[in-house]
Formats: sequence, structure tokens, C-alpha cells
Amino acid sequence: MTRALLLATALSFALPAVAAEKGDAAAGKLKVYTCAGCHGIPGWKNAYPNYHVPKIGGQNYDYLVAALTEYKKGERSHPTMRAQGESLSEQDIKDIATYLSSLAP
Amino acid sequence: MTESNRISAMKRLTAPLMLALLLVAGAASAAGDAEAGKNKSMPCQACHSQDGNATVDPQYPRLNGQYRDYLVKALHEYKLGERKNPIMAGFAATLSDQDIEDLAEHFSSLPGGKLTDLHGKVSE
Repeated sequence: MTRALLLATALSFALPAVAAEKGDAAAGKLKVYTCAGCHGIPGWKNAYPNYHVPKIGGQNYDYLVAALTEYKKGERSHPTMRAQGESLSEQDIKDIATYLSSLAP
Repeated sequence: MTESNRISAMKRLTAPLMLALLLVAGAASAAGDAEAGKNKSMPCQACHSQDGNATVDPQYPRLNGQYRDYLVKALHEYKLGERKNPIMAGFAATLSDQDIEDLAEHFSSLPGGKLTDLHGKVSE
């Protein structure tokens, strides 16, 4: 019952999806240089707590924009990512998300 | 060996034995079961798609092929409220540690993933 309710809630969030305005992939490719320091090493692990740094190439655009914006605002707590997020403008975030979401394995 | 020596030897052995047993039990419960995870993944599929590639709406992240331990961490953060998302908070609250391990094993091991690391994908 609870799960059915949650499912219905999730679906109601999913419906009013609006196509987001994207950034510049070429500019994004230049701006992801720093990201590759951790996200570019296959199997690279976060020091503490110890877990793999997530794969972000090919990730969905809107999710990437939301994640970077949350780090920028301090709503997500990873210290390195918060510092990176603070250094990014809204345009940087759009450009980076546009390039990353265009990648394929 | 006297009786008292035997008892003290047993006492010395008890603690390491208990520890070893705890470690074995811990390792067993930590391992996720992909098949169990698949069976538990029905609610996830509404947003993250059946194959975990989240093709429904780009606001939802792709999970297919993501690192298992990152997925485990993310679900625990949602469950503990350390990562705030109204939809995921509701789902994660219902998950046991074993559910989280199973779901992470399922999504990380699915074939056909579209995620990649950035190796060789930046300007030099």
C-alpha cells in the first residue's frame, strides 16, 4: 500500500517534465578537465568514506544540473564536490552537464 | 595443562573466535543478491526504467552499470536524510540494509549500461 502510494507520487512528479535549456558541449568539454582528476580514472575510489567515485559520463542532463547545483548550494555534502560546485557558474554547470550527458561508453 | 590453565586458554580464544564469527556474519549480510534486488526493483523502475537507464525523464539518474558501492552509499544517504530528495526519501525509508545491498547489486550488474568514466574524454 505504502509502496503503491509512493509509486503514484513518483509518477505524478515524472509527468510535468519540461525540456531544459542546454549548454554548450564544446565549452563543457574544456570545463570538465578538473572533473577527470577523479571521475576520469577507471575504478578510482573516494578516500573516506571508501567507495568508487561515480561514473558521470552518459548520465542524464537534468540530473547532472541538479546534482551540481545542490553541491554549489551546499545541499549535498561531499567536501570536494562542494568546493568544485562553488566555483561553477550556472552557465558552467549547463555546459558541463551538456558535454557529460553526450558521452557514451 | 592444569584445569586453570585450560580455562584461561579458552578465555583467550573466546574473544578472537567471537570476532571471527561476527566478521563472517557481517560479510555474509553485506553481499547483495542481484536476483533478489531485481525482484525488489519494481518501484525503482517507474523513474529509473526497467533496465536502469532512466529513459523516462532526464531528471532521474541512470543507475545501470553505476558502481555498486556508490549506489549503496547514495541509498543510505537518502535513508538517513543526508541527501535530500522528497521522492527518494520516501522509498529509501522502506529499505533495509539488505534491500539496499540487493538493489545496488542488481542495478550495478545489469548489461547495456550507458554510463562511463571520463578516461580519455577530456581536452588535453
